[in-house]
Amino acid sequence: MNKENAAEGASAGSDGTQSAKTMSTARLGELRDEVSKLKVTGGAANPERLAGKWGIGLTIFGFVVAFVSWWSAFNAGDFASLDRAAIFAGLGIGVSIIGIVIWIRNSLTRYLRFWVIRLVYEQREQTDRLIEALERREK
Amino acid sequence: MLAAGPQPADPAPADAPVLELSSVRAGYGRIDVLHGVDLQLSAGEVYALLGPNGAGKSTTLAVASGQITPSSGSLLLCGRDVTGVTPDALARIGVCLIPEGRGIFPNLTVTENLRMATFTGTSFSDVQDTVFAQFPRLRERRRQTAGTLSGGEQQMLAMGRALATNPAVLLIDELSMGLAPLIVDELYDHVRRIAASGLSILIVEQFVHEILGVADRAGIMLHGHIVETGTPTQIADDLTSAYLGRTHH
Repeated sequence: MNKENAAEGASAGSDGTQSAKTMSTARLGELRDEVSKLKVTGGAANPERLAGKWGIGLTIFGFVVAFVSWWSAFNAGDFASLDRAAIFAGLGIGVSIIGIVIWIRNSLTRYLRFWVIRLVYEQREQTDRLIEALERREK
Repeated sequence: MLAAGPQPADPAPADAPVLELSSVRAGYGRIDVLHGVDLQLSAGEVYALLGPNGAGKSTTLAVASGQITPSSGSLLLCGRDVTGVTPDALARIGVCLIPEGRGIFPNLTVTENLRMATFTGTSFSDVQDTVFAQFPRLRERRRQTAGTLSGGEQQMLAMGRALATNPAVLLIDELSMGLAPLIVDELYDHVRRIAASGLSILIVEQFVHEILGVADRAGIMLHGHIVETGTPTQIADDLTSAYLGRTHH
């Protein structure tokens, strides 16, 4: 049975093939619209890996800022400089915390993804073994 | 989330293939399985990718569905380069993969498996209506654990779940694997009906006789290259010699 016969069988009436083409044209138009809205990174960047690198980078940057601010606080000649150093130290620690949170979030995502995949595979194997056991018992 | 800024969509030609792999090299880690694959799937076409085990057919589908990012080359959708887009984004816009081994959740019931298909925003009642209309047998077994279904019923569940997401491009990996010939014929009848609705389908198979009468075009894949394309009838004879190890250049 070729595609044309299948189309006539699948849709009632003489315009079955035409309605199938209309449906596919409409769906194709939807696909083109959705493809044009896709966010594409160009293939070079893995978003998760990039986010992980940003997380580590922000953490290190934040600690560096905090350390430099802390060090400059020792050399502060007046209270205004001391206040500035304290503010920057706080900002540095805040940036570090944000970096750590991003890194932990990405790491957890990857870990949980592997965990789910492993769970699925193990469940499939368990089900296969159960079915084999049931079949052996029936024999 | 913190990725490089999205590239603007270039206007694509209206007659661009709905799915295209252009000089794609891809693999697993440092091992390349695909060595420059060129494949075009036109709108409403059924393209069968044939070849022996280890040829790279499943890897081709993995690239087409976004699961593997090519090390070089491009994946294009409707003429737009979408290389690197995430597989869930492709799934949401209608590029749907039915993987080898069905990909159902064996410890969930049929109904629960179908509920997983609502991620595109389709209501659960619409999903059920679509699937049970196509595969009435599944309605009778809706409370049955999916892992205890027969192989053919599991494949129906996988196909039904895919169709319920209103795909624009359907990627099918070895529909006939591990199934009796009668069941395979029944499933390919379903594929014919699906193809008649105008859906673009890229289907991977080992044996050409299964896809004769379904596919519009076919290609033979060997060692990571598509060595020949044509109608299924044209390449049916060459497929045997390809399986026996005659190398094409």
